[in-house]
Amino acid sequence: MSAINIWTEKYRPSNFEGMVGQQEIIKRVKSLVQALNIPHLLFAGPAGIGKSTLALIIVKELFGEKWRENYLELNASDERGIDVVRQKVKDFARTKAIENIPFKVIFLDEADALTKEAQQALRRTMENYSNTCRFIMSCNYSSRIIDPIQSRCVVFRFKLLEKKDIRKRIEFIAQNEKLNIKEEAFDTLYEASEGDCRRAINLLQATASISPDVTPDMITMVSSAAKPADVKVVLDYALAGDFVGARDKLLDTMLKDSVSGTDIIKAIQKEIWNLQIEPSIKVNLTEKTGEAEFRMVEGSDEFVQLQALLASFVLAGRGEA
Amino acid sequence: MSLSEKYRAKRYAEIIHQDQAVKEVAKFLKEFPKKKSLVLHGPAGTGKTSLALAAAKENDLEVLELNSSDLRNRAKLEETLRPATQQSSLFKKGKVLLMDEVDGVTGTDIGGIPELVKLIHSTSFPIIMTCNDVWQSKLSPVRQKSKLVEMKPLDLGSIISLLLKISEQEGFNKSPQFLKQIAIKSQGDLRAAINDLESYSRLDSEEIDLTDKRNVSQSIFNVLRRLFKERQPFLELFDTTDESLDEILLWIEENIPKEYKNETLVKAYHALGSADVFRGRIYKNQHWRFLVYQNAFQSAGISFAKDAPLDGFTKYEKPKRILKIWLNNQKIAKKKTIAKKYARMVHCSTKRALRDFTVLTPILKQESVQQKLKLSDDEIAYVNGLR
Repeated sequence: MSAINIWTEKYRPSNFEGMVGQQEIIKRVKSLVQALNIPHLLFAGPAGIGKSTLALIIVKELFGEKWRENYLELNASDERGIDVVRQKVKDFARTKAIENIPFKVIFLDEADALTKEAQQALRRTMENYSNTCRFIMSCNYSSRIIDPIQSRCVVFRFKLLEKKDIRKRIEFIAQNEKLNIKEEAFDTLYEASEGDCRRAINLLQATASISPDVTPDMITMVSSAAKPADVKVVLDYALAGDFVGARDKLLDTMLKDSVSGTDIIKAIQKEIWNLQIEPSIKVNLTEKTGEAEFRMVEGSDEFVQLQALLASFVLAGRGEA
Repeated sequence: MSLSEKYRAKRYAEIIHQDQAVKEVAKFLKEFPKKKSLVLHGPAGTGKTSLALAAAKENDLEVLELNSSDLRNRAKLEETLRPATQQSSLFKKGKVLLMDEVDGVTGTDIGGIPELVKLIHSTSFPIIMTCNDVWQSKLSPVRQKSKLVEMKPLDLGSIISLLLKISEQEGFNKSPQFLKQIAIKSQGDLRAAINDLESYSRLDSEEIDLTDKRNVSQSIFNVLRRLFKERQPFLELFDTTDESLDEILLWIEENIPKEYKNETLVKAYHALGSADVFRGRIYKNQHWRFLVYQNAFQSAGISFAKDAPLDGFTKYEKPKRILKIWLNNQKIAKKKTIAKKYARMVHCSTKRALRDFTVLTPILKQESVQQKLKLSDDEIAYVNGLR
């Protein structure tokens, strides 16, 4: 079977040696794997730094060719509730692992997307199947994982990849794909990726689909087309006093690119400091933004809170906020 | 015979305060079958049924009347109406089908509305329907097929003069002041006014119990008008409409910028935001007592956002957001299935794949990738169509 031409997959490291960064973690995990026994593991850290890759390497090292039969991958943010997760775990855990390893491995990605109640239920499931299954869980923030689960796991905190790590990976791909990357393009790529290696590689492939000569301008072009939303345009409408225009534009962008309200508010919070308004007003708006983000967590309809925030921007446009 | 029946308008000329509606109905019958059905809508007692009957009379048509209570099921409706739509009347030139109170066709009349729509298609006679609220969603298929004519609540003057006339003809000895009070109490509902007059007619006293006001189910437009124009602690305002608190919230959200500007805009959305915060707490904790807070913020909170009452007429609009979201979901349905296939292949979440979709597009356009992901022909066409 030839490798799929999605570079994040094609160039996903398949052994410990291929990984960049996280050297301390790799050393410890490797020793666990060599003993042919692993405890439950919890991988914490931002997106695109190797959590899923390491989980895959672990099962490949443990089970070799037969890894697919002994590995279940679930994404908590996509599953429709804890009952579905439990049922899948149950079905998977029913049969025994083969060969010389007495357990199967379940990788639960984005475990922090589960509510506290769901995590409590999950903890029971972990206990029930601890003879036949090992869990590897990944999360962005370990603080969102309840203590009882953390205490049952060995916790590994992944660090953000450094520029040189990502560059190493990009150079490796460029060599294989016969790309010609301009020196400055590495910096642009790193900034656009925000340290997320998956994003860096996706950007590289999207850019390379236009031309094998990768320049900073092209990367900027590709990445700006994919910005979460035209938040600046929305704010410009609001500052100019066109509330309805701002609101319509906001809804359109959110729908078109499936952007969440939380992502929008993060982008607004960053954008405030680039606006052409009094710095003192910027401080007030930042407070309003923080308040809106807080209310978003409490409320049920993100868009209502975003409109309340936009109304504040209308006032700011008149120098009154 | 009750007074309200006795004095029911029989001819176009006797119908008061609805000149525009009369004109529209006459035109509809004249132009039939350009449009096959017409809906008269408006509050109770504005003359909807009277106008329909008068129209039949003016045009020498036989009326085949159907009440919603008559049609409990599809079979019954079919049985009653089908033959009528196909054979002509023996004595009169033609027929008109009158379907009173179509809002009464509820979920239990399975097939009631679709059957009505089929009937509109097949009928060889004009259909006139009446209802209070034509904008409820279940009537949307009927709405699309029919001409809509609005009947307005009657003005005070028209009601008073008619009450005077009846009072005179019936020999009631009542003062104009008394009749005016009855008229005010009726809130534009002529039938209610005549019924009240009848009930007081044999009493000597001219005292009116204003507290036994009828609960008029107000249209959402009236509710919004009061909420935005007046400045009152409207805690019970929403009890007068059939819409749920959550639906009302959407209506308010849509229409705030039509009424409020600047400081007032900020205050109103802040109140609406507070209502939503409590709604969120209700959902998360099932703490239904919090409904009182949601209600207070989205009623009094919105009303008091302004410093003074507002004048003028404002045309309110239906909430567009839910429709937009629905349309968008249809539009991105393919995107979602593609993202799901992609996500499974590359070990990430569907959400993440959706967020990154723009960057991924050139990657997904490769034929080899499409094959590996087992994309359907539709999905391939979708991806290849993206810029």
